[in-house]
Amino acid sequence: MIYYLLLPFLSIILVILQSTITDVVFSGRLVFDLSLIVVIYAGFRLDLVRGSLLAFVMGFVFDCVAGSVLGLFTFIYVIIFLFSFSASGRLAAEKIYIIALFSFLCAFLEGLMVILFYHLAFKFDVLVNMCFVSIPKALIVGLFSPVFFYMMRRVEVFFYEKTA
Amino acid sequence: MFFLRKYKTVILIIVLLLIALIMLSFNLKYGAGRSFLSNIVLEMVAPVQKGVSASVRNIKDAWLRYIVLVGIEEENKKLNKKINELKAVVIQYQEGYLEAQRLRKLLSLTDDYNYHFINARVIGREQAALSKTILIDKGTIHGLKVGMPVIVPPGLIGRLVDVSWHASKVLLLIDENSNIDAIVQRTRMQGIVSGAGSRGFILKYISKTQDVQEGDVIVSSGMGGVFPKGLLIGRVSHVDRLEASLFLKINVVPFVDFSKLEEVSVLASSEKKN
Repeated sequence: MIYYLLLPFLSIILVILQSTITDVVFSGRLVFDLSLIVVIYAGFRLDLVRGSLLAFVMGFVFDCVAGSVLGLFTFIYVIIFLFSFSASGRLAAEKIYIIALFSFLCAFLEGLMVILFYHLAFKFDVLVNMCFVSIPKALIVGLFSPVFFYMMRRVEVFFYEKTA
Repeated sequence: MFFLRKYKTVILIIVLLLIALIMLSFNLKYGAGRSFLSNIVLEMVAPVQKGVSASVRNIKDAWLRYIVLVGIEEENKKLNKKINELKAVVIQYQEGYLEAQRLRKLLSLTDDYNYHFINARVIGREQAALSKTILIDKGTIHGLKVGMPVIVPPGLIGRLVDVSWHASKVLLLIDENSNIDAIVQRTRMQGIVSGAGSRGFILKYISKTQDVQEGDVIVSSGMGGVFPKGLLIGRVSHVDRLEASLFLKINVVPFVDFSKLEEVSVLASSEKKN
């Protein structure tokens, strides 16, 4: 129960942390999508109910704060979670390169969905945005996700004594 | 009942996806009319973001003021020289302004509006993939409303798209959703300035036969009544005359450095003078 009560607050803190890192480290030029890494991780570690709710709440908070069309990232994050959940049983999540590649793929898919939506709704230029926005973002997610996965497993071992 | 219990997880996921799709369709159709729930989220985000931003800013200031002093003296000399050059330019512009005032009186053209500014501090920057917004620490209780223009000297930076009680979200002009009526200051040619993210702006719908050069200043045209006339937007950096197009492809560099926004002014009202 406490998980569901804390979820909105932790999501808000995570989104703020993400925007602060983006601002301080990358000066806003590149996007550090920590919330997406959390959603991908949730697909490997959480059950369907908890993970879907986490993805839904995180996506909603991100929509409210980031200025995108409300509902867009809410929908996309749930889809990414479901994709991650279905792939988790088939992937060797202990290997760093598997985590990095899979996270890159998820971030790329997320970027593709966002750009296709904006192209269909607002006639945005797809190719330019893919090159300058989505691919760099996906590369950053791919690079940082093994670090996040490792840190979270350490936290799990520390708190719950699960096998790393 | 047995069916619901057996498939409760699948039903929950379908319900969540449906809620997200309904929200998306509703907001796409009816535009930026935020819900009570999203205002609550904004209200919760604002104080936390303010605290985090203030801490980061203090650390940055301490670093820049006391630790990284290399090249400060050289930069100081350059800036002093620039100030002196600009003083001379300002005096010329003052003469031009006074002459314009005299001519305006002669022609009986009047300013119809009083402008009232509300200053606000930037407490957060949200840089999602295709969305460039900032969060400021003023809201409806300070008199802000959705749609109000936001400026920073020397020019325009965006408009309010989301206003809760104590915080507001500003859609920056560099956001790809942003479009504003503008004119080329030198030739008075009218076009539309669209945001292009990290690439600045694109000035659209200027015919290939028109004279637009690198260095031309772009200002707001005042059309549509949202943004006042004459606010600086940017400077033309590149002009492309594409064979297959009727219009020029004009890249515009903003006057304002959007990565260094700290304080902004919201154009709160434009009451008609009696």
